[in-house]
Amino acid sequence: MIAPRLRTRLVGLVGRLYLGLILMFLYAPIMVMAAMSFNASEFYQLPFEFSTMWYVQLSDNDAILAAALRSIWIALIVTVVATVLGTAASVALWRYDFPGKRVLQVLLFPPIAIPWLITGTAMLIFFFGVGIGRGTPAVIVGHVALALPYVIVVVTARLATFDRTLEEAARSLGARPWLVTRAVMLPWIAPGVIAGALFAFAVSFDQFVISYFLSEPGDSTLPVLIYTAIRKGFTPEINAISTIIIAFSMCVMLIAAQFTKFGGER
Amino acid sequence: MSGGKSIARTDRLRALALLAPAYLWLTVAIFLPLSAMAFFSVVTDVPFGDTEWHFTIENYTAFFESPTYARLLLKSVLLGVKVTALCVLIGFPCAWVLAKMIRGRSREALFLLVILPFWSNSLVRIFSWAIVLRGNGVLDNFVNAIWPWPVDVNLMFSETAIVIGLVHSYIPYVILTAYLALQAIDDSLIEAARSLGAKWWTILWRIVLPLALPGLIAGAVLVFVPVVGSFMEPRILGGRLGTYYGTVIEDQFVAVFNWPLGAALSFILLAVVLIILAAASPVLRKSQT
Amino acid sequence: MSEVRVEGLIKAYGPVRALDDVTLTFPDGGFFGLLGPSGSGKTTLLRAMAGFVEPDMGQVFFGDRPVGDVPVEAREIGMVFQNYALFPNMTVSDNVAFGLRVRGIAAGETAKRVADVLDLVQLGPLGARKPHELSGGQRQRVAMARAIVTRPRVLLLDEPLSALDKALRVDMQIELKRIQREVGITTVFVTHDQEEALTLSDRIGILRDGRLIREGTPQEVYSDPGDVFTARFLGEANVLEGTPAGAFLDLPGGARVARPDGAIRIAVRPEHVAVSVDRPDGPNILRAELRQRIFAGAMGTCVMDWEGQVFKAVARHEDFAALPESGPVWVSWSERHARGLTAD
Repeated sequence: MIAPRLRTRLVGLVGRLYLGLILMFLYAPIMVMAAMSFNASEFYQLPFEFSTMWYVQLSDNDAILAAALRSIWIALIVTVVATVLGTAASVALWRYDFPGKRVLQVLLFPPIAIPWLITGTAMLIFFFGVGIGRGTPAVIVGHVALALPYVIVVVTARLATFDRTLEEAARSLGARPWLVTRAVMLPWIAPGVIAGALFAFAVSFDQFVISYFLSEPGDSTLPVLIYTAIRKGFTPEINAISTIIIAFSMCVMLIAAQFTKFGGER
Repeated sequence: MSGGKSIARTDRLRALALLAPAYLWLTVAIFLPLSAMAFFSVVTDVPFGDTEWHFTIENYTAFFESPTYARLLLKSVLLGVKVTALCVLIGFPCAWVLAKMIRGRSREALFLLVILPFWSNSLVRIFSWAIVLRGNGVLDNFVNAIWPWPVDVNLMFSETAIVIGLVHSYIPYVILTAYLALQAIDDSLIEAARSLGAKWWTILWRIVLPLALPGLIAGAVLVFVPVVGSFMEPRILGGRLGTYYGTVIEDQFVAVFNWPLGAALSFILLAVVLIILAAASPVLRKSQT
Repeated sequence: MSEVRVEGLIKAYGPVRALDDVTLTFPDGGFFGLLGPSGSGKTTLLRAMAGFVEPDMGQVFFGDRPVGDVPVEAREIGMVFQNYALFPNMTVSDNVAFGLRVRGIAAGETAKRVADVLDLVQLGPLGARKPHELSGGQRQRVAMARAIVTRPRVLLLDEPLSALDKALRVDMQIELKRIQREVGITTVFVTHDQEEALTLSDRIGILRDGRLIREGTPQEVYSDPGDVFTARFLGEANVLEGTPAGAFLDLPGGARVARPDGAIRIAVRPEHVAVSVDRPDGPNILRAELRQRIFAGAMGTCVMDWEGQVFKAVARHEDFAALPESGPVWVSWSERHARGLTAD
C-alpha cells in the first residue's frame, strides 16, 4: 500500500487536475468565441489573423445596437422593481409569523419549477387575452416575475444572519417599525439587497425564453435578435456582440459576488 | 409579537403591505397566465376576434392519437435524465474537491470561477459551442493537429452536441448546490469515521452521500426541469435532428399558431414534471429541518 | 419611574405553560431579581413585561396603567439583552443617542445626556468607537448606558452578565448595583446564577415551571427557603426526612433531632454544620462517614456519607485542620439553624 501521506498528496493532485479539467471545459467555448471575434476570417476558418473589423462593423449595425440598448434599459427597470418588491417580501416573511406563511413561501417556487417554455407561452396567452399583448411592457412584467425569486432567495439568505435582538433593542428604545427597518435592518442587509439587484439585472439581461415569446418581431431584446440571426446563419458580428455580452455579464456577477458570500461569513 | 389584539392586527396589515406587491405581481405574471393557459387548452380556437370557438378535449386527445407526441415527450424526458445524470456524476466530484480539498482564499476564488460562466448569456454560450463543434471548427482542427491520421470531427447537429451544450449550461447548478451541501458537513464527522476504521468508499456511501443528498436532489431538479422543456439548444445544436417536445410546443406558438394545442401539450409536460418533483420532494423536505 | 405589577399572567405554548398564573409586584426604584432554572419562565415573564410576548391571560401594570394594548415602542422601557444587541453600524455615542433621537430630543440636549451617561458608566472617552472595537465588559456598559439614558419607567435586564467571564462578572455586578442606586429606576433582572441574584437584588423571586414559588429579600429566602427545591437551588442544603416523635424527629439510623416548625423534613446549610472526631453535646448530632475533603482556596468542604445520602459541611479551611482525610466522624448543628421544609 502507498504510504498515507503520499496517498493524500496524490489524491489532492488528482482532485486539482480534475477541477482544472472542469474549468477548461467550462471556459473553452467562451475563450474560442472571444478569440474568433478577433479573427479576420468571415467563416471562422483558421489560420488566425488578428483583426477588430467585426467590432467596427458592429458599431454600424443599428439593429444590434438598438436591441442592446433596449436590453439594458429593460434590465434596469426590472432591477429596480424586482429589488424593491423582493426585498419588501423577504422582510415581511422574516419578521412576521402568520397563518399561511408556509403556503406563501412555497408559491415562490413555480417560476423556477416550471419550464420557462411553459411560463413564457402562458404569459403570451394571458397578455394577449388581457390586452397587454406583446412588446416591452409585457417583457418587463415577465422578467420581474422571473427575477423576484432570485432577489428573495439572496435577501433572505442575508436576513438569516441578521440578529433579531437588534430589532427588539430598537423597539425597546421607542423606534416604530419603519425606523427600525431603516436605521437598523437595512444597513445590515444592504450587501444582500445589492447582490439581489445585480442578480435581477443578470437574469433580465440574459433572459431569452420569456423575451422570445413576449417581444414584438421588430422590437426585440438582444438575445432574441441573436437567436433569429443564428437561425438564418452565422455572422461574425454576432460573435463580437456575444463576446461583449459575456464579458459584461461576468463583470456584473463579479461585482455581485463581492456583496454576497456563498456559504461564507461576512 | 406585542401585547393586545389590536397590535397583532396592525402587524398583519404591515405584513400584508410588504407582501402584496410581490405576490400580486406573481399572480398577474404567472398564476393567472397559467390559468389562462389551462382555459386555452380546452377550447378549439383562440377566442380573439370573430372566430367561432367551443370547449373540447381534442387538444388533449391529440396527444394520444398520434404516437409522435408521446415519443417526443419520452425523448425529452430521456434527454433530461441523461443531462441530469451527467451533471451529477461530473459535478459532484468537482464540488467535493472544492469543498473539502481546497482551503482558504483560493477556494472562494475558484468557486467563483466555476460559477461565473453560469451567469453569462446562455444563448451566447450555446452559440460558442456551435463554433467549437462544427466541421472545420476548432475541435476539428485541434484533433487533427494532434492525431496522426486525418479525421473529420463534426459533432454538430447530433444528440451528442445537444447533450454537451446542455451539460455545459447546467452543470454549475449542480456544483453550486452540491458545494453548499458538502460545505455544511462537519469535517469532524469524517474524521470520526476514519478513526473508527472506515475506508473512503464507506465514508462516501454511508456518511457523505446521505448528508449531501438534499443538495444533490435540489441541483438535479434545477437541471432536469429546464432541460425537459428546452428548445433553444436542440434547435441550434441539433438542426434537423433537434426535434424535441419543447420545439414542438414552440412551433405551436410561433409557426403553426395552434395555441390551444400548444397549451394542452404544455400542461401535459407540466403534469409530468410535477409528478417527478413530487417524488423528489420528501427528500428535499428533510433538508429544511 | 414607577412601580411595576403583573397580575395573573398566563402564557402557554401548546400544552406547556411558560407562565402559570404569576402575580408579582416590583417595588418602585428597587432592584428585583428573577431567579430560576432554564425553562422556569423567568425570561418569558421579562419579555411579557417588555411587550415582546403577549400573555394569554392576565395584565401588566406600569404604575396604575395596564399596558396590554401598548406596543413595545410606546411602553418607555429600557432593556439590556443577553448579547447586548448594540447596533453594529453605529458608534457608541450614536448607539446611546438612538433612544433620545427617536423621542425627538434636541441635538444639544442629546449630546449632553449622552456624555453624562457615558461618564456614569465610566466609558467617557470611548464615544467614537464602534461596538466591535470594544471588550465584553465595555459593550455591557454601553448597553446599560443606552437603556437608561432615556429615563425609562422600568429597566429590564435579560441575563446581562452571563456572557462575561467570572472575574469580570463580579466586577460588573458591583458596577451594575452602583449605577442602579444612582439612577433609581425600577429594575427587574433575570438570571440563573443564584449567587448573582443574592448579591444584586433588593428582593428576589424564584420561578419554577412557570410558577412563582418564593419571594422576599435575599436573606429571607436564603435562610427560610420553605421547600426542598428552593433550599437546593439557592445555595446548598442537607435535607433530612424522618418520622415525627413529639417535639423531635426520628431519623433513619436511630438518631433523634429537634424538629422546628413541626415539619417532617428539615434542612441544614453546610456552613452551619460542624464536623468533629469526638462526640459533641446536644441533640442535633449524627454519625457519618467522611469520604472526601475538598480544598477550594479560602474555604473547604467535607463530603460525608450518612445513611446512603450525601452530607456536606463547609467552613474555612483551617477549621477542618484537625480532621482526618476519611473515616467515621460526628456532624452537629445548632437547632436555630435547622429549617422545616415542605415537599417540592
